[in-house]
Amino acid sequence: MTIKAMNSALDFLRDKYGVGPGVIAEGPECFQLHLSDGNKADLLPHRVERRFVELKKIIDGKTLEGISTFRFAVFRPHGDLRKMLAAELDLAAFLSGSEVSRLFAAGDGQRVCNVIFRLANGVSGCIECSSGLPTAAPVLDRHEIIARRGVASDRVVDTQVPQHSIYVWNEDGTATYTDVDTELFGLSDEAIWTVRAAFAVLSQPSLAACWNQAAQASLRQAEAALDCALSGTPVTF
Amino acid sequence: MKPVKIAMMGMTHGHTRKYYQTLLENKKLDWVAACAEDEEAKKVYALYNTGVPCYLDAAAMLAEHPDIEAIVLASANNRHFEQMKFCAERGIHILSMKIPTFDMAEYDAMIELVDKAGVVCQIELEMHYNPVVKRLQKLIADGALGKILSVQATNITLSPVWAFPWQGVPEDSYGSRVPLASGDHRFRGGALCDHPHIFDLIRWLTGADFASVFAQVAPNLRPELEVEDMLLAAGKMTDGTAFLFDPSWSRMEERLKVPAPGWEVFPKRMEVNVTITGEKGMLQCDCFGPNVYHNGAPNDRYTVQYTYFDEWIGLIDEFVDCIRNHKQPRINLKWHRHTIEAMNACYDSVAEGKAIAL
Repeated sequence: MTIKAMNSALDFLRDKYGVGPGVIAEGPECFQLHLSDGNKADLLPHRVERRFVELKKIIDGKTLEGISTFRFAVFRPHGDLRKMLAAELDLAAFLSGSEVSRLFAAGDGQRVCNVIFRLANGVSGCIECSSGLPTAAPVLDRHEIIARRGVASDRVVDTQVPQHSIYVWNEDGTATYTDVDTELFGLSDEAIWTVRAAFAVLSQPSLAACWNQAAQASLRQAEAALDCALSGTPVTF
Repeated sequence: MKPVKIAMMGMTHGHTRKYYQTLLENKKLDWVAACAEDEEAKKVYALYNTGVPCYLDAAAMLAEHPDIEAIVLASANNRHFEQMKFCAERGIHILSMKIPTFDMAEYDAMIELVDKAGVVCQIELEMHYNPVVKRLQKLIADGALGKILSVQATNITLSPVWAFPWQGVPEDSYGSRVPLASGDHRFRGGALCDHPHIFDLIRWLTGADFASVFAQVAPNLRPELEVEDMLLAAGKMTDGTAFLFDPSWSRMEERLKVPAPGWEVFPKRMEVNVTITGEKGMLQCDCFGPNVYHNGAPNDRYTVQYTYFDEWIGLIDEFVDCIRNHKQPRINLKWHRHTIEAMNACYDSVAEGKAIAL
Protein backbone atom coordinates (compact mmCIF):
# COMPACT_ATOMS: atom_id res chain seq x y z
CA MET A 1 0.00 0.00 0.00
CA THR A 2 1.81 3.14 -1.13
CA ILE A 3 0.87 6.54 0.15
CA LYS A 4 1.42 7.92 -3.33
CA ALA A 5 -1.26 5.64 -4.80
CA MET A 6 -3.66 6.47 -1.98
CA ASN A 7 -3.15 10.20 -2.45
CA SER A 8 -3.71 9.86 -6.20
CA ALA A 9 -6.98 8.08 -5.46
CA LEU A 10 -7.93 10.75 -2.94
CA ASP A 11 -7.21 13.47 -5.50
CA PHE A 12 -9.45 11.66 -7.97
CA LEU A 13 -12.34 11.65 -5.49
CA ARG A 14 -11.71 15.25 -4.44
CA ASP A 15 -11.82 16.41 -8.03
CA LYS A 16 -14.90 14.36 -8.86
CA TYR A 17 -16.96 15.38 -5.86
CA GLY A 18 -15.57 18.87 -5.39
CA VAL A 19 -14.15 18.68 -1.86
CA GLY A 20 -11.21 20.61 -0.41
CA PRO A 21 -7.53 19.66 -0.21
CA GLY A 22 -5.89 17.16 2.13
CA VAL A 23 -3.01 14.69 2.09
CA ILE A 24 -2.75 11.20 3.56
CA ALA A 25 0.44 10.63 5.54
CA GLU A 26 1.81 8.11 8.01
CA GLY A 27 1.14 9.13 11.60
CA PRO A 28 2.66 7.81 14.82
CA GLU A 29 -0.12 5.24 15.28
CA CYS A 30 -2.08 5.14 12.05
CA PHE A 31 -2.54 6.90 8.73
CA GLN A 32 -3.52 10.52 9.14
CA LEU A 33 -5.06 13.15 6.96
CA HIS A 34 -3.11 16.40 6.90
CA LEU A 35 -5.59 19.20 6.39
CA SER A 36 -4.92 22.51 4.70
CA ASP A 37 -5.42 24.39 8.00
CA GLY A 38 -2.47 22.50 9.52
CA ASN A 39 -4.60 20.11 11.58
CA LYS A 40 -4.21 16.35 11.41
CA ALA A 41 -6.93 13.75 11.61
CA ASP A 42 -6.36 10.12 12.62
CA LEU A 43 -8.01 7.94 10.01
CA LEU A 44 -10.34 5.18 11.19
CA PRO A 45 -10.90 3.15 8.00
CA HIS A 46 -13.22 0.65 9.68
CA ARG A 47 -15.70 3.47 10.25
CA VAL A 48 -16.19 3.85 6.50
CA GLU A 49 -15.79 0.20 5.50
CA ARG A 50 -19.01 -0.65 3.79
CA ARG A 51 -19.83 -3.85 5.67
CA PHE A 52 -19.60 -1.95 8.95
CA VAL A 53 -21.56 0.98 7.56
CA GLU A 54 -24.30 -1.51 6.58
CA LEU A 55 -24.21 -3.15 10.02
CA LYS A 56 -24.56 0.27 11.59
CA LYS A 57 -27.53 1.00 9.33
CA ILE A 58 -29.09 -2.26 10.47
CA ILE A 59 -28.70 -1.12 14.09
CA ASP A 60 -29.66 2.53 13.65
CA GLY A 61 -32.58 1.69 11.36
CA LYS A 62 -34.04 -0.66 14.01
CA THR A 63 -33.79 -3.71 11.79
CA LEU A 64 -32.41 -5.28 14.95
CA GLU A 65 -34.21 -4.44 18.17
CA GLY A 66 -32.83 -4.76 21.67
CA ILE A 67 -29.12 -5.22 21.00
CA SER A 68 -27.63 -7.56 23.56
CA THR A 69 -24.16 -8.70 22.52
CA PHE A 70 -21.40 -8.02 20.01
CA ARG A 71 -19.28 -11.04 19.12
CA PHE A 72 -16.20 -9.94 17.20
CA ALA A 73 -13.17 -11.89 16.04
CA VAL A 74 -10.01 -10.93 14.18
CA PHE A 75 -6.99 -13.08 13.32
CA ARG A 76 -3.97 -11.80 11.42
CA PRO A 77 -0.53 -13.00 10.51
CA HIS A 78 1.99 -11.01 12.54
CA GLY A 79 -0.46 -8.23 13.44
CA ASP A 80 0.06 -5.60 16.10
CA LEU A 81 -2.25 -6.86 18.84
CA ARG A 82 -2.65 -3.40 20.35
CA LYS A 83 -3.80 -1.85 17.10
CA MET A 84 -5.98 -4.83 16.25
CA LEU A 85 -7.76 -4.56 19.59
CA ALA A 86 -8.08 -0.79 19.29
CA ALA A 87 -9.80 -1.11 15.93
CA GLU A 88 -12.29 -3.66 17.25
CA LEU A 89 -13.03 -1.69 20.40
CA ASP A 90 -13.57 1.45 18.36
CA LEU A 91 -15.82 -0.51 16.01
CA ALA A 92 -17.97 -1.50 18.98
CA ALA A 93 -18.22 2.15 20.02
CA PHE A 94 -18.97 3.24 16.45
CA LEU A 95 -21.68 0.63 15.83
CA SER A 96 -23.37 1.18 19.16
CA GLY A 97 -22.86 4.91 19.61
CA SER A 98 -21.69 4.10 23.15
CA GLU A 99 -18.29 4.02 24.84
CA VAL A 100 -16.53 0.98 26.28
CA SER A 101 -17.02 1.25 30.04
CA ARG A 102 -15.38 -1.94 31.32
CA LEU A 103 -13.29 -4.80 30.04
CA PHE A 104 -11.56 -7.97 31.05
CA ALA A 105 -8.95 -9.79 28.97
CA ALA A 106 -7.08 -13.08 28.91
CA GLY A 107 -4.10 -13.90 26.75
CA ASP A 108 -0.34 -13.99 26.49
CA GLY A 109 -0.01 -10.26 25.92
CA GLN A 110 1.78 -10.73 22.60
CA ARG A 111 0.00 -12.99 20.15
CA VAL A 112 -3.37 -13.69 21.74
CA CYS A 113 -5.81 -11.56 23.65
CA ASN A 114 -9.45 -12.43 24.26
CA VAL A 115 -11.55 -9.58 25.61
CA ILE A 116 -14.94 -9.33 27.22
CA PHE A 117 -16.23 -5.77 27.33
CA ARG A 118 -19.28 -3.80 28.36
CA LEU A 119 -20.52 -0.57 26.77
CA ALA A 120 -21.95 2.37 28.66
CA ASN A 121 -25.38 1.58 27.21
CA GLY A 122 -25.27 -1.90 28.76
CA VAL A 123 -24.47 -3.90 25.63
CA SER A 124 -22.04 -6.74 26.23
CA GLY A 125 -19.38 -7.91 23.82
CA CYS A 126 -16.29 -9.98 23.20
CA ILE A 127 -13.29 -9.96 20.89
CA GLU A 128 -11.30 -13.01 19.89
CA CYS A 129 -7.99 -11.53 18.82
CA SER A 130 -4.86 -13.28 17.62
CA SER A 131 -1.83 -12.44 15.53
CA GLY A 132 -0.86 -16.07 15.34
CA LEU A 133 -1.78 -16.88 11.77
CA PRO A 134 1.08 -18.05 9.56
CA THR A 135 2.58 -15.49 7.20
CA ALA A 136 0.80 -16.56 4.04
CA ALA A 137 -2.62 -16.80 5.65
CA PRO A 138 -5.35 -14.28 4.85
CA VAL A 139 -6.84 -12.02 7.52
CA LEU A 140 -9.85 -13.72 9.10
CA ASP A 141 -12.52 -11.82 10.94
CA ARG A 142 -16.18 -11.95 11.92
CA HIS A 143 -18.57 -9.43 13.43
CA GLU A 144 -21.87 -10.66 14.80
CA ILE A 145 -24.50 -8.54 16.49
CA ILE A 146 -27.02 -10.42 18.57
CA ALA A 147 -30.29 -8.75 19.47
CA ARG A 148 -33.62 -9.64 21.02
CA ARG A 149 -35.02 -9.32 17.53
CA GLY A 150 -32.56 -10.64 14.97
CA VAL A 151 -28.89 -11.35 14.45
CA ALA A 152 -26.71 -9.51 11.94
CA SER A 153 -23.29 -10.55 10.71
CA ASP A 154 -20.70 -9.84 8.06
CA ARG A 155 -20.32 -13.60 7.57
CA VAL A 156 -22.93 -15.73 5.91
CA VAL A 157 -24.63 -18.45 7.93
CA ASP A 158 -22.96 -21.87 8.06
CA THR A 159 -19.49 -20.58 7.18
CA GLN A 160 -16.41 -20.03 9.33
CA VAL A 161 -14.20 -18.01 7.01
CA PRO A 162 -14.79 -14.99 4.75
CA GLN A 163 -16.23 -15.73 1.33
CA HIS A 164 -14.96 -14.20 -1.90
CA SER A 165 -16.60 -12.87 -5.02
CA ILE A 166 -14.38 -14.82 -7.39
CA TYR A 167 -12.53 -18.13 -7.10
CA VAL A 168 -10.11 -19.13 -9.86
CA TRP A 169 -8.63 -22.60 -10.22
CA ASN A 170 -5.90 -23.01 -12.81
CA GLU A 171 -2.41 -24.40 -13.22
CA ASP A 172 -1.09 -21.71 -10.85
CA GLY A 173 -3.32 -23.01 -8.05
CA THR A 174 -6.31 -21.33 -6.48
CA ALA A 175 -6.78 -17.57 -6.34
CA THR A 176 -9.56 -15.50 -4.81
CA TYR A 177 -10.70 -11.94 -5.45
CA THR A 178 -13.13 -9.68 -3.62
CA ASP A 179 -13.44 -6.27 -5.22
CA VAL A 180 -15.60 -3.79 -3.41
CA ASP A 181 -15.15 -0.38 -4.99
CA THR A 182 -15.31 0.39 -8.72
CA GLU A 183 -14.10 3.96 -8.34
CA LEU A 184 -10.96 2.82 -6.53
CA PHE A 185 -10.53 -0.46 -8.42
CA GLY A 186 -7.00 -1.80 -8.20
CA LEU A 187 -6.17 -0.58 -4.70
CA SER A 188 -6.00 -3.07 -1.84
CA ASP A 189 -8.94 -3.17 0.56
CA GLU A 190 -6.82 -1.55 3.23
CA ALA A 191 -5.90 1.30 0.88
CA ILE A 192 -9.49 1.71 -0.32
CA TRP A 193 -10.87 2.18 3.17
CA THR A 194 -8.01 4.51 4.14
CA VAL A 195 -8.75 6.70 1.11
CA ARG A 196 -12.48 6.56 1.81
CA ALA A 197 -11.79 7.55 5.42
CA ALA A 198 -9.73 10.54 4.29
CA PHE A 199 -12.46 11.50 1.85
CA ALA A 200 -15.05 11.24 4.61
CA VAL A 201 -13.11 13.70 6.76
CA LEU A 202 -12.71 16.11 3.86
CA SER A 203 -16.43 15.86 3.13
CA GLN A 204 -17.36 16.28 6.78
CA PRO A 205 -14.57 18.18 8.57
CA SER A 206 -16.20 17.81 12.00
CA LEU A 207 -15.20 14.13 11.88
CA ALA A 208 -11.54 15.08 12.44
CA ALA A 209 -11.88 15.98 16.12
CA CYS A 210 -14.29 13.10 16.75
CA TRP A 211 -11.94 10.56 15.18
CA ASN A 212 -8.84 11.91 16.93
CA GLN A 213 -10.60 11.48 20.24
CA ALA A 214 -11.91 8.01 19.33
CA ALA A 215 -8.49 6.85 18.12
CA GLN A 216 -6.83 7.89 21.38
CA ALA A 217 -9.57 6.35 23.51
CA SER A 218 -9.50 3.00 21.73
CA LEU A 219 -5.70 2.77 21.94
CA ARG A 220 -5.88 3.44 25.69
CA GLN A 221 -8.53 0.73 26.02
CA ALA A 222 -6.44 -1.72 23.99
CA GLU A 223 -3.41 -1.06 26.19
CA ALA A 224 -5.59 -1.60 29.24
CA ALA A 225 -6.79 -4.89 27.78
CA LEU A 226 -3.22 -6.09 27.21
CA ASP A 227 -2.31 -5.13 30.78
CA CYS A 228 -5.41 -6.87 32.07
CA ALA A 229 -4.51 -10.02 30.16
CA LEU A 230 -1.41 -10.23 32.32
CA SER A 231 -2.82 -8.95 35.62
CA GLY A 232 -6.22 -10.62 35.51
CA THR A 233 -7.85 -7.51 36.96
CA PRO A 234 -10.93 -6.09 35.20
CA VAL A 235 -10.61 -2.46 34.06
CA THR A 236 -13.32 0.14 34.44
CA PHE A 237 -13.17 3.36 32.39
CA MET B 1 -16.28 20.89 -16.61
CA LYS B 2 -19.74 22.37 -16.81
CA PRO B 3 -22.27 20.05 -15.10
CA VAL B 4 -24.71 18.30 -17.42
CA LYS B 5 -28.28 19.47 -16.88
CA ILE B 6 -30.16 16.22 -16.57
CA ALA B 7 -33.78 15.10 -16.11
CA MET B 8 -35.61 11.83 -15.65
CA MET B 9 -38.70 10.72 -17.50
CA GLY B 10 -41.31 8.05 -16.86
CA MET B 11 -40.39 7.13 -13.28
CA THR B 12 -42.10 3.73 -13.61
CA HIS B 13 -39.04 1.55 -14.20
CA GLY B 14 -37.74 -0.65 -11.41
CA HIS B 15 -34.37 1.07 -11.56
CA THR B 16 -35.75 4.61 -11.23
CA ARG B 17 -34.94 5.06 -7.54
CA LYS B 18 -31.39 3.78 -8.02
CA TYR B 19 -30.47 6.98 -9.89
CA TYR B 20 -31.50 9.44 -7.22
CA GLN B 21 -28.42 9.37 -5.02
CA THR B 22 -25.98 9.49 -7.94
CA LEU B 23 -27.83 12.27 -9.73
CA LEU B 24 -27.85 14.33 -6.56
CA GLU B 25 -24.24 13.68 -5.49
CA ASN B 26 -22.28 13.69 -8.75
CA LYS B 27 -20.88 17.19 -9.20
CA LYS B 28 -20.71 16.64 -12.95
CA LEU B 29 -24.50 16.63 -13.05
CA ASP B 30 -27.21 19.10 -12.25
CA TRP B 31 -30.45 17.16 -11.84
CA VAL B 32 -33.08 19.76 -12.60
CA ALA B 33 -36.38 17.95 -13.18
CA ALA B 34 -38.37 14.74 -13.41
CA CYS B 35 -41.43 13.94 -15.46
CA ALA B 36 -43.67 11.14 -14.22
CA GLU B 37 -45.75 8.91 -16.44
CA ASP B 38 -48.87 9.50 -14.34
CA GLU B 39 -50.14 10.67 -10.97
CA GLU B 40 -49.38 7.31 -9.40
CA ALA B 41 -45.72 7.43 -10.48
CA LYS B 42 -45.51 11.03 -9.26
CA LYS B 43 -46.84 10.00 -5.84
CA VAL B 44 -44.25 7.24 -5.53
CA TYR B 45 -41.49 9.64 -6.63
CA ALA B 46 -42.58 12.08 -3.91
CA LEU B 47 -41.90 9.43 -1.26
CA TYR B 48 -38.17 9.78 -1.88
CA ASN B 49 -38.02 13.53 -1.16
CA THR B 50 -35.35 14.35 -3.72
CA GLY B 51 -36.24 18.05 -3.78
CA VAL B 52 -36.24 17.95 -7.60
CA PRO B 53 -39.50 19.14 -9.18
CA CYS B 54 -41.68 16.57 -10.93
CA TYR B 55 -43.95 17.25 -13.90
CA LEU B 56 -46.58 15.20 -15.66
CA ASP B 57 -45.93 16.55 -19.14
CA ALA B 58 -42.55 16.43 -20.86
CA ALA B 59 -43.18 19.56 -22.93
CA ALA B 60 -44.12 21.46 -19.79
CA MET B 61 -40.94 20.22 -18.11
CA LEU B 62 -38.83 21.44 -21.01
CA ALA B 63 -40.67 24.77 -21.07
CA GLU B 64 -39.67 25.29 -17.43
CA HIS B 65 -36.17 23.87 -17.93
CA PRO B 66 -35.16 24.62 -21.53
CA ASP B 67 -31.51 23.96 -20.70
CA ILE B 68 -32.00 20.22 -20.11
CA GLU B 69 -29.20 18.45 -21.99
CA ALA B 70 -29.89 14.81 -21.15
CA ILE B 71 -32.76 12.63 -19.99
CA VAL B 72 -32.84 9.24 -18.26
CA LEU B 73 -35.76 7.32 -19.75
CA ALA B 74 -36.89 5.44 -16.65
CA SER B 75 -40.03 4.06 -18.19
CA ALA B 76 -41.82 0.94 -19.42
CA ASN B 77 -40.32 -0.68 -22.51
CA ASN B 78 -43.25 0.26 -24.76
CA ARG B 79 -42.73 3.96 -23.97
CA HIS B 80 -39.10 4.10 -25.05
CA PHE B 81 -39.54 4.76 -28.78
CA GLU B 82 -41.82 7.74 -28.32
CA GLN B 83 -39.61 9.17 -25.57
CA MET B 84 -36.42 8.62 -27.57
CA LYS B 85 -38.01 10.42 -30.51
CA PHE B 86 -38.99 13.27 -28.22
CA CYS B 87 -35.39 13.60 -27.01
CA ALA B 88 -33.64 13.07 -30.33
CA GLU B 89 -35.78 15.67 -32.08
CA ARG B 90 -34.71 18.19 -29.46
CA GLY B 91 -31.03 17.23 -29.46
CA ILE B 92 -31.27 15.82 -25.94
CA HIS B 93 -28.88 13.01 -24.97
CA ILE B 94 -30.51 9.76 -23.85
CA LEU B 95 -29.87 7.19 -21.18
CA SER B 96 -32.22 4.31 -21.99
CA MET B 97 -33.27 1.47 -19.73
CA LYS B 98 -31.87 -1.97 -20.52
CA ILE B 99 -34.46 -2.93 -23.15
CA PRO B 100 -34.90 -0.14 -25.72
CA THR B 101 -37.49 -2.28 -27.56
CA PHE B 102 -37.97 -5.87 -28.70
CA ASP B 103 -39.46 -4.74 -32.02
CA MET B 104 -36.46 -4.84 -34.33
CA ALA B 105 -38.00 -2.47 -36.90
CA GLU B 106 -38.61 0.00 -34.11
CA TYR B 107 -35.09 -0.67 -32.83
CA ASP B 108 -33.61 0.25 -36.22
CA ALA B 109 -35.73 3.39 -36.29
CA MET B 110 -34.26 4.30 -32.89
CA ILE B 111 -30.74 3.91 -34.28
CA GLU B 112 -31.64 6.15 -37.21
CA LEU B 113 -33.17 8.80 -34.95
CA VAL B 114 -30.16 8.91 -32.69
CA ASP B 115 -27.63 8.92 -35.53
CA LYS B 116 -29.49 11.69 -37.33
CA ALA B 117 -29.72 13.82 -34.19
CA GLY B 118 -26.09 13.19 -33.27
CA VAL B 119 -26.97 12.63 -29.62
CA VAL B 120 -25.46 10.18 -27.16
CA CYS B 121 -27.70 7.19 -26.48
CA GLN B 122 -26.38 4.92 -23.77
CA ILE B 123 -28.15 1.73 -22.74
CA GLU B 124 -28.31 1.05 -19.03
CA LEU B 125 -26.49 -2.22 -18.44
CA GLU B 126 -25.18 -1.45 -15.01
CA MET B 127 -23.31 -4.72 -14.52
CA HIS B 128 -20.41 -3.23 -16.48
CA TYR B 129 -19.72 -0.88 -13.59
CA ASN B 130 -19.79 -3.59 -10.93
CA PRO B 131 -16.32 -4.10 -9.38
CA VAL B 132 -16.60 -7.88 -9.48
CA VAL B 133 -17.49 -7.84 -13.17
CA LYS B 134 -14.56 -5.51 -13.76
CA ARG B 135 -12.27 -8.09 -12.12
CA LEU B 136 -13.92 -10.90 -14.06
CA GLN B 137 -13.33 -9.13 -17.35
CA LYS B 138 -9.71 -8.45 -16.39
CA LEU B 139 -9.04 -12.07 -15.42
CA ILE B 140 -10.44 -13.34 -18.71
CA ALA B 141 -8.61 -10.68 -20.74
CA ASP B 142 -5.36 -11.53 -18.92
CA GLY B 143 -5.76 -15.17 -19.91
CA ALA B 144 -6.26 -16.66 -16.44
CA LEU B 145 -8.44 -19.37 -17.99
CA GLY B 146 -7.16 -19.41 -21.56
CA LYS B 147 -9.71 -19.83 -24.31
CA ILE B 148 -13.22 -19.95 -22.86
CA LEU B 149 -15.07 -23.20 -23.43
CA SER B 150 -18.23 -22.67 -21.46
CA VAL B 151 -20.14 -20.00 -19.54
CA GLN B 152 -22.96 -20.76 -17.16
CA ALA B 153 -24.73 -17.80 -15.58
CA THR B 154 -27.70 -16.96 -13.45
CA ASN B 155 -29.51 -13.64 -13.59
CA ILE B 156 -32.25 -14.47 -11.15
CA THR B 157 -34.37 -12.15 -9.04
CA LEU B 158 -37.69 -11.81 -7.37
CA SER B 159 -40.49 -10.65 -9.64
CA PRO B 160 -40.95 -6.88 -9.69
CA VAL B 161 -44.45 -7.01 -11.21
CA TRP B 162 -46.33 -6.09 -8.03
CA ALA B 163 -44.42 -2.83 -7.69
CA PHE B 164 -43.97 -2.24 -11.42
CA PRO B 165 -47.09 -3.73 -13.00
CA TRP B 166 -46.07 -2.99 -16.59
CA GLN B 167 -43.49 -5.77 -16.30
CA GLY B 168 -46.35 -8.26 -16.19
CA VAL B 169 -48.25 -6.77 -19.12
CA PRO B 170 -47.11 -8.26 -22.46
CA GLU B 171 -47.82 -5.12 -24.48
CA ASP B 172 -45.92 -2.87 -22.05
CA SER B 173 -42.97 -5.17 -21.46
CA TYR B 174 -42.53 -7.00 -24.77
CA GLY B 175 -44.27 -4.40 -26.91
CA SER B 176 -47.05 -6.66 -28.21
CA ARG B 177 -49.14 -9.65 -27.16
CA VAL B 178 -47.29 -12.66 -28.56
CA PRO B 179 -48.17 -16.11 -27.18
CA LEU B 180 -45.19 -18.00 -25.78
CA ALA B 181 -46.13 -21.09 -27.79
CA SER B 182 -49.09 -22.78 -29.36
CA GLY B 183 -51.36 -23.99 -26.57
CA ASP B 184 -49.55 -21.95 -23.89
CA HIS B 185 -51.81 -19.35 -22.28
CA ARG B 186 -48.86 -17.11 -21.43
CA PHE B 187 -47.24 -14.35 -23.49
CA ARG B 188 -43.78 -12.95 -24.06
CA GLY B 189 -42.72 -10.19 -21.68
CA GLY B 190 -41.77 -11.75 -18.33
CA ALA B 191 -38.53 -12.70 -16.63
CA LEU B 192 -36.49 -12.87 -19.83
CA CYS B 193 -37.32 -9.24 -20.63
CA ASP B 194 -35.99 -8.26 -17.21
CA HIS B 195 -32.62 -9.98 -17.52
CA PRO B 196 -30.48 -9.03 -20.53
CA HIS B 197 -27.26 -8.74 -18.49
CA ILE B 198 -25.86 -12.22 -18.94
CA PHE B 199 -26.69 -12.17 -22.67
CA ASP B 200 -24.58 -9.01 -22.89
CA LEU B 201 -21.82 -10.14 -20.54
CA ILE B 202 -20.93 -13.28 -22.49
CA ARG B 203 -20.38 -11.17 -25.60
CA TRP B 204 -17.85 -9.01 -23.73
CA LEU B 205 -16.10 -11.99 -22.16
CA THR B 206 -15.75 -14.04 -25.35
CA GLY B 207 -15.61 -11.34 -28.00
CA ALA B 208 -18.06 -13.51 -29.90
CA ASP B 209 -21.72 -13.27 -30.83
CA PHE B 210 -24.56 -15.72 -30.47
CA ALA B 211 -24.59 -18.55 -33.01
CA SER B 212 -27.57 -20.52 -31.74
CA VAL B 213 -29.90 -20.64 -28.79
CA PHE B 214 -32.41 -23.08 -27.35
CA ALA B 215 -34.81 -21.97 -24.61
CA GLN B 216 -37.46 -23.63 -22.51
CA VAL B 217 -40.05 -22.21 -20.15
CA ALA B 218 -41.16 -23.94 -16.95
CA PRO B 219 -44.52 -23.85 -15.21
CA ASN B 220 -44.90 -20.43 -13.61
CA LEU B 221 -44.20 -20.00 -9.91
CA ARG B 222 -46.84 -17.27 -10.07
CA PRO B 223 -49.67 -18.86 -12.04
CA GLU B 224 -51.68 -15.64 -12.15
CA LEU B 225 -49.07 -13.89 -14.32
CA GLU B 226 -49.72 -13.58 -18.05
CA VAL B 227 -45.99 -13.70 -18.76
CA GLU B 228 -43.26 -16.30 -18.15
CA ASP B 229 -41.44 -16.26 -14.84
CA MET B 230 -39.19 -19.34 -15.17
CA LEU B 231 -37.03 -20.28 -18.14
CA LEU B 232 -33.64 -21.63 -19.16
CA ALA B 233 -31.55 -20.99 -22.25
CA ALA B 234 -28.57 -22.84 -23.72
CA GLY B 235 -26.59 -22.57 -26.91
CA LYS B 236 -23.33 -21.69 -28.56
CA MET B 237 -21.42 -18.56 -29.43
CA THR B 238 -19.75 -17.98 -32.79
CA ASP B 239 -16.38 -18.93 -31.26
CA GLY B 240 -17.76 -22.27 -30.09
CA THR B 241 -18.29 -21.28 -26.43
CA ALA B 242 -21.20 -23.19 -24.94
CA PHE B 243 -23.53 -21.42 -22.52
CA LEU B 244 -26.35 -22.17 -20.11
CA PHE B 245 -28.34 -19.25 -18.70
CA ASP B 246 -31.02 -18.97 -16.06
CA PRO B 247 -32.74 -15.58 -16.37
CA SER B 248 -35.75 -16.43 -14.18
CA TRP B 249 -37.82 -14.73 -11.53
CA SER B 250 -37.11 -17.72 -9.31
CA ARG B 251 -36.98 -15.91 -5.97
CA MET B 252 -40.33 -15.24 -4.35
CA GLU B 253 -41.37 -11.87 -3.02
CA GLU B 254 -43.82 -10.05 -0.83
CA ARG B 255 -46.25 -8.30 -3.12
CA LEU B 256 -45.30 -4.74 -2.16
CA LYS B 257 -46.51 -1.73 -4.15
CA VAL B 258 -43.30 0.14 -3.40
CA PRO B 259 -39.97 -1.70 -2.93
CA ALA B 260 -38.96 -1.64 0.72
CA PRO B 261 -37.18 -3.74 3.33
CA GLY B 262 -38.84 -7.13 3.57
CA TRP B 263 -39.55 -7.32 -0.17
CA GLU B 264 -37.71 -10.62 -0.49
CA VAL B 265 -38.91 -14.02 0.72
CA PHE B 266 -35.77 -15.88 -0.37
CA PRO B 267 -32.78 -14.31 1.46
CA LYS B 268 -31.04 -13.04 -1.65
CA ARG B 269 -33.40 -11.13 -3.90
CA MET B 270 -31.00 -10.78 -6.83
CA GLU B 271 -28.17 -13.00 -8.01
CA VAL B 272 -25.79 -12.88 -10.96
CA ASN B 273 -23.42 -15.82 -10.63
CA VAL B 274 -21.08 -16.87 -13.41
CA THR B 275 -19.13 -20.10 -13.84
CA ILE B 276 -16.55 -20.20 -16.62
CA THR B 277 -14.54 -23.15 -17.85
CA GLY B 278 -11.53 -22.39 -20.01
CA GLU B 279 -8.75 -24.44 -21.54
CA LYS B 280 -6.45 -23.55 -18.60
CA GLY B 281 -8.85 -23.63 -15.67
CA MET B 282 -12.14 -22.61 -14.21
CA LEU B 283 -13.65 -19.81 -12.15
CA GLN B 284 -16.76 -19.12 -10.16
CA CYS B 285 -18.00 -15.62 -9.62
CA ASP B 286 -20.72 -14.05 -7.50
CA CYS B 287 -21.24 -10.53 -8.87
CA PHE B 288 -23.28 -9.49 -5.83
CA GLY B 289 -21.48 -11.06 -2.92
CA PRO B 290 -20.33 -11.29 -0.24
CA ASN B 291 -22.58 -8.96 1.78
CA VAL B 292 -23.86 -8.57 5.31
CA TYR B 293 -26.79 -10.59 6.60
CA HIS B 294 -29.54 -10.34 9.19
CA ASN B 295 -32.83 -11.81 10.27
CA GLY B 296 -34.38 -8.72 11.78
CA ALA B 297 -37.30 -6.45 10.92
CA PRO B 298 -39.65 -6.33 9.21
CA ASN B 299 -40.23 -10.05 8.66
CA ASP B 300 -37.55 -11.72 10.81
CA ARG B 301 -36.35 -13.67 7.78
CA TYR B 302 -32.72 -14.33 6.97
CA THR B 303 -31.87 -11.55 4.50
CA VAL B 304 -28.93 -10.47 2.39
CA GLN B 305 -28.28 -6.77 2.82
CA TYR B 306 -26.42 -5.73 -0.33
CA THR B 307 -23.23 -4.01 0.70
CA TYR B 308 -20.70 -3.07 -1.90
CA PHE B 309 -22.42 -2.33 -5.15
CA ASP B 310 -22.85 1.14 -6.66
CA GLU B 311 -23.13 0.39 -10.35
CA TRP B 312 -25.01 3.58 -11.11
CA ILE B 313 -22.03 5.75 -10.19
CA GLY B 314 -19.85 4.38 -12.99
CA LEU B 315 -22.74 4.22 -15.41
CA ILE B 316 -23.51 7.91 -14.99
CA ASP B 317 -19.80 8.79 -15.13
CA GLU B 318 -19.57 7.16 -18.56
CA PHE B 319 -22.71 8.92 -19.75
CA VAL B 320 -21.37 12.33 -18.72
CA ASP B 321 -17.97 11.58 -20.27
CA CYS B 322 -19.63 10.61 -23.57
CA ILE B 323 -21.73 13.79 -23.61
CA ARG B 324 -18.93 16.19 -22.76
CA ASN B 325 -16.20 14.50 -24.79
CA HIS B 326 -18.31 13.35 -27.75
CA LYS B 327 -17.69 9.66 -27.20
CA GLN B 328 -19.76 6.61 -28.08
CA PRO B 329 -20.92 4.67 -24.98
CA ARG B 330 -19.72 1.10 -24.70
CA ILE B 331 -23.32 -0.09 -24.54
CA ASN B 332 -24.84 1.81 -27.41
CA LEU B 333 -27.87 0.95 -29.53
CA LYS B 334 -25.88 -0.72 -32.30
CA TRP B 335 -23.86 -2.90 -29.92
CA HIS B 336 -26.91 -3.88 -27.91
CA ARG B 337 -28.94 -4.88 -30.99
CA HIS B 338 -27.32 -8.36 -31.08
CA THR B 339 -28.20 -8.92 -27.43
CA ILE B 340 -31.84 -8.09 -28.09
CA GLU B 341 -31.82 -10.35 -31.17
CA ALA B 342 -30.56 -13.24 -29.03
CA MET B 343 -33.29 -12.64 -26.45
CA ASN B 344 -35.90 -12.62 -29.19
CA ALA B 345 -34.39 -15.86 -30.47
CA CYS B 346 -34.99 -17.37 -27.02
CA TYR B 347 -38.68 -16.56 -27.39
CA ASP B 348 -38.68 -17.98 -30.94
CA SER B 349 -37.09 -21.15 -29.61
CA VAL B 350 -39.76 -21.48 -26.92
CA ALA B 351 -42.44 -21.05 -29.60
CA GLU B 352 -40.90 -23.49 -32.07
CA GLY B 353 -39.44 -26.03 -29.65
CA LYS B 354 -36.08 -26.07 -31.41
CA ALA B 355 -32.72 -24.31 -31.39
CA ILE B 356 -32.67 -21.05 -33.34
CA ALA B 357 -29.67 -20.05 -35.43
CA LEU B 358 -28.75 -16.38 -35.36
